[in-house]
Amino acid sequence: VKEMKGKKFYTGVLSALLASSVALAGCGNSGEEEGASADKVTVDVFQFKVEFKDQFESLVEKYEKENPDVDINVKTVGGGNDYGASLKSTFSSGEEPDIFNVGGPSDVEDYREYLADLSDTEASKVALDGTLTSVKDGEETLGLPFNQEGYGFIYNKSVFEEAGVNADEIKTYEDLEKAVKKIDKQKEDLGLEAVFALAAKETWVIGNHLANAFIAPEFDQDILKAYNADTIPFEKGDELKRMLDLQNKYSVQPVLSLDYSQQVEQLFSLGKVAIIKQGNWVYNSIEAMDPEFAENNIGMFPIPVEGFEGKLPVGVPMYWAVNKKSDEEVVQASKDFLDWMYTSDAGKEAVVNDFKFIPAYKGYEDAEIADPLSQEIYNYSSEGNTLGWVFMGSPIGWQEEVLAVNMQQYLSGDISWDEALENARASWEKSRK
Amino acid sequence: MYWGEFLMRNKDVSFWLFLTPVLLGLGLVVIIPLLYGFIYSFTNWNGLAATEFLGLTNYIDLFKEAEFRNSIWFTIKFSVVSVIIINFLGLGLAILVTRGMKTSNFLRTIFFMPNLIGGLILGFIWQFIFVSAFDGIGNLLGIEALQGWLSTTETGFWGLVILTSWQWAGYIMIIYIAYLENIPKDLLEAAEIDGASSFQRFKNIIFPLVAPAFTVSMFLTISHCFKIYDQNLSLTGGGPFNSTQMVAMEIYKTAFNENQMALAQSKGVIFLILVAIISLTNVYYNKKREVDM
Repeated sequence: VKEMKGKKFYTGVLSALLASSVALAGCGNSGEEEGASADKVTVDVFQFKVEFKDQFESLVEKYEKENPDVDINVKTVGGGNDYGASLKSTFSSGEEPDIFNVGGPSDVEDYREYLADLSDTEASKVALDGTLTSVKDGEETLGLPFNQEGYGFIYNKSVFEEAGVNADEIKTYEDLEKAVKKIDKQKEDLGLEAVFALAAKETWVIGNHLANAFIAPEFDQDILKAYNADTIPFEKGDELKRMLDLQNKYSVQPVLSLDYSQQVEQLFSLGKVAIIKQGNWVYNSIEAMDPEFAENNIGMFPIPVEGFEGKLPVGVPMYWAVNKKSDEEVVQASKDFLDWMYTSDAGKEAVVNDFKFIPAYKGYEDAEIADPLSQEIYNYSSEGNTLGWVFMGSPIGWQEEVLAVNMQQYLSGDISWDEALENARASWEKSRK
Repeated sequence: MYWGEFLMRNKDVSFWLFLTPVLLGLGLVVIIPLLYGFIYSFTNWNGLAATEFLGLTNYIDLFKEAEFRNSIWFTIKFSVVSVIIINFLGLGLAILVTRGMKTSNFLRTIFFMPNLIGGLILGFIWQFIFVSAFDGIGNLLGIEALQGWLSTTETGFWGLVILTSWQWAGYIMIIYIAYLENIPKDLLEAAEIDGASSFQRFKNIIFPLVAPAFTVSMFLTISHCFKIYDQNLSLTGGGPFNSTQMVAMEIYKTAFNENQMALAQSKGVIFLILVAIISLTNVYYNKKREVDM
């Protein structure tokens, strides 16, 4: 009897092994047979924005219904580094997508041979000024902007009103300093802990965004100039210093352990500080804390930069690209789809209402843009009152790992400002050698 | 059935058959990547392809990097302090809960509990305690030392030490308990009858007999402290200005934030060698110290 049991056991194990290997083999094959029916054009999209995956897919469905001869497959892989790495591996494995995303000049350079010229698309013609600089190569336009993002000083309207400060009148650094001092004097009455909350723990807050406002002008707002620069002069280094000092002096302390969530949720949303330097992406967090406050009580004004007063740093985080090596009709179908998404009425509606994007294109003037911060940013950019985003053009990791770290060291008092800039410059030059 | 009989008779085959999945797994996810990584560390690998053999260039570069050297030094300081505190607390707790108090079992559970919480979450919990709770108490009582935690290198360092000790003391306690409970009661009784004080009993009987526990605990705590990543990431994130960044995090940043895969790989190799040398030397010396009963 015992032997019988043993036999059964082994046969059991063997058949289980066999069954699982069959199942595994099955996995490998499925999915390859389907698709590609007679005269249908199949477009494979490989995109990074996880946040709008569902909304994007439902827009794609709508398009497929209107255009029965086009079949669009969407594949989404999470943002940042993951996307870059998986895009590289899909290309090297030969399963090249027809539509994919590129970030900045370094992506454009890496994928140059795959990037189709999109200058004949409708969307590229209505793209707002400056949104195409990092994907231009001579006459060719190699990408179409996803959306725009922008940042500045976000302020609490009712605190400003009570303190008797008019945000519209803050143009120069001196104006800002005066306003800050005025609010600081009344901070007890206004229920404030401090005027600012400087989230210096977040390297992207000080290294990418704050610094960019003072670095962009020396590269003429041009990300490509930054990308090709052998060195960084820091012409506006002193201005950057005084802006950092001002925020630090009037901020909730200690700034070096103050993070994004404290800044936006605990301090700003609860009315403990009057001003934070942030962008339109904070809207959802503020709304989650206090919808009424978010809706009616926040505004944005630009960071004063000498010679560029009244201009808001606005940029494009990611671009759509079309694979040049795909079949001609697929390239055309891809272009048609992107055009439809950004220029047709149905597409526009989805872009604004479902994706909640700040459009990077003309023709959205009448659209109801999702939130007041985004609306403000769209106004600045459609009027051309913008500063470029050049930080995607600096050496990889430089802004956060080098510049921001040195700024933190300066804030802690370990090194002088000149040393901080000198370290940052040396590192830039080393990586551009 | 033929197969079953064959397997039953042939112990060797069934032995290997059962071992295969484990070996396969170990080989695929540990050994092969390790070998690959080792080879890549001599090239200009960018995550996709290696086009050039660079010899020792990466290894020379990494020692020139102040950031890497700082992170090694910080990790060593952190590990020395943490290992001492964890073992001290662990042994202390173990002695406390083996004294036969009524609440012993309850206390054991409580002390072990922190170890069941994931590292990332622990980091965020302690971040809140250090930044908000400490600050609140400090404000209330006017104690300046409790304010501004995690905003300086020193408080970041001690924050990490406190977190790690709190999490690991209970785990190490379990190991000490096992050895403490194995000490023959008659030895202790005999000593007591001979007039040994409780300190003498601890020094001359308990301590030598739990020596094997030291070997195990030291090995575990040292290798754990050296390789910490998640607690580091969520508690301080390496800040301020990367001064509380441990080696694992530095390597991660080199690879994924700065996109220097091969350099990061060579740092990983150095790190492996460092941890291996320290842990193995420690085991060797502790083994020597152990006494047989």
